[in-house]
Amino acid sequence: MEEFIKIHSIKKIFGSGEDQVHAFGPADISIKSGEFISILGPSGCGKSTLMLMMAGLLRSSSGSISFDNQIVSEPKTDIGIMFQDNTLVPWRTVEGNIKLQLELRGLSPNDYADKIHEILKSVNLEDFKDRFPSELSGGMQQRAAFCQAMIHEPKTILLDEPLGKLDAMTRERIRTDIQNLWMTHKPTVIFVTHSIEEAVQLSSRVILITPRPGKIDREIEIDLPYPRNLEVKRSQKFFKYVTEIQEVFHQYGVI
Amino acid sequence: MASSNNKFKNFLRWIASGWMLILFFVLFFLFWEYSIPLFEIPRYILPAPSEIVQKGSADFDKLIYYTGVTGLETVLGYFLAIILGLGFGIAISFSSILRRTLYPFFVSIEMTPKIAFAPLFISWFGFGLLPKVIIVILVCFFPIVLNAILAFNSLSNELTLFHKSTGASALKTFFKIRLPAAMPQCFVGFKYAAINATVGATIAEFIGSDQGLGFYISIVTGNMRPDLAFAGIFFLTLLGLTLFGFVTLMEKILIPWHISMKRINN
Repeated sequence: MEEFIKIHSIKKIFGSGEDQVHAFGPADISIKSGEFISILGPSGCGKSTLMLMMAGLLRSSSGSISFDNQIVSEPKTDIGIMFQDNTLVPWRTVEGNIKLQLELRGLSPNDYADKIHEILKSVNLEDFKDRFPSELSGGMQQRAAFCQAMIHEPKTILLDEPLGKLDAMTRERIRTDIQNLWMTHKPTVIFVTHSIEEAVQLSSRVILITPRPGKIDREIEIDLPYPRNLEVKRSQKFFKYVTEIQEVFHQYGVI
Repeated sequence: MASSNNKFKNFLRWIASGWMLILFFVLFFLFWEYSIPLFEIPRYILPAPSEIVQKGSADFDKLIYYTGVTGLETVLGYFLAIILGLGFGIAISFSSILRRTLYPFFVSIEMTPKIAFAPLFISWFGFGLLPKVIIVILVCFFPIVLNAILAFNSLSNELTLFHKSTGASALKTFFKIRLPAAMPQCFVGFKYAAINATVGATIAEFIGSDQGLGFYISIVTGNMRPDLAFAGIFFLTLLGLTLFGFVTLMEKILIPWHISMKRINN
């Protein structure tokens, strides 16, 4: 497969002079189209910073990021993005929030009526489309946000700890949703997380980030069959990957 | 079944809380009424509620007319303050130059008791409607503008990043995200200003006027008629409650999602 995203000597320093904080880098990463990449590291290692730079929402201090040989110099609009705190607005229903993504992009919500129905159904929210976010549980809100982030069918999806605030059971459930979507549409996914198990379960490749300033410690290809269901998660191989990564972070004194 | 049971419970709860308030007012006025003869309070100090109603009703037409006068000053000043306050609030929120100049200026003026300007306005603009409207604007403007600035500057980081990632124009973002997101905090300012509006109009009338409830109260108090003063205060209270009720109703109509969100979170 073609090399799709190229991150070259990217580095971010916040502030200047004595107050400056070296948040991330330098780091080089190259990502192929259709890969599921997890950026895994302890909190404060700059992994969210990296994601924001990839989205063009934060300027890097040095280095460059390019998608399809196009250097990122302003906010990228052909991506889907999701954060730990969702981007649902309280004055719109679930369906209205999904339409908001389309309206802001100048797309006609009517043209997407079938797709909205389809994506809501894929995460079991079709009966809740007329509910307001405040009427939903945290997990349902995050599933609605997931639909909002995907409705315009982006080729690249940036997920910044989208499951961070959810309980263990709900996390498990939404991981499956994300995996299903990825297997069907094969977008390129950049998934920022601090959960080792989550990274191993979902990714085709895990990139391990050191404590701040975040640098790449190593990259691990996860050679497990999809869909990675309970059976795969119980396997020796799965366990081996998890242990290997645990060892790395143990050496850094993180765990 | 469960939902009708719930409705019944809500109804009982409403009765319980509603009746308590009514009972409190009944007891309050009864206490007032009977403590006048009991403690031998002279009527030129504090009249009984029954006397206020009786004497006040003789002046009813005048009170109604004056309520209209004060009401016009209040409402005109209040809505002009909303227009100005929102306008300046939005301008300051989106202009870094204004944020560094006008904003600190407004914050420091907020510390000045605005009502202190009232005699000046009367001397500049005379006894008519204009100085009263200006004083009401002055009293209402600051809570509205300061809350609007707070409102338009407190969009969550996630929503800011989200709208940037859609490439939507500033105008579209304003109407689809920034404006609705700012409304709840703006209404905090509108409500606070609604409470102040009648205060501004009344004091302006105290200082220089020949009609209105504030004028009425200061005249009858000078004539040792506290019964009529209380009648005037009653109509002022009614005016204030009506304005506040209207703003609360507008909040319910314009941002129903905010009200229900609060209810669920509580």
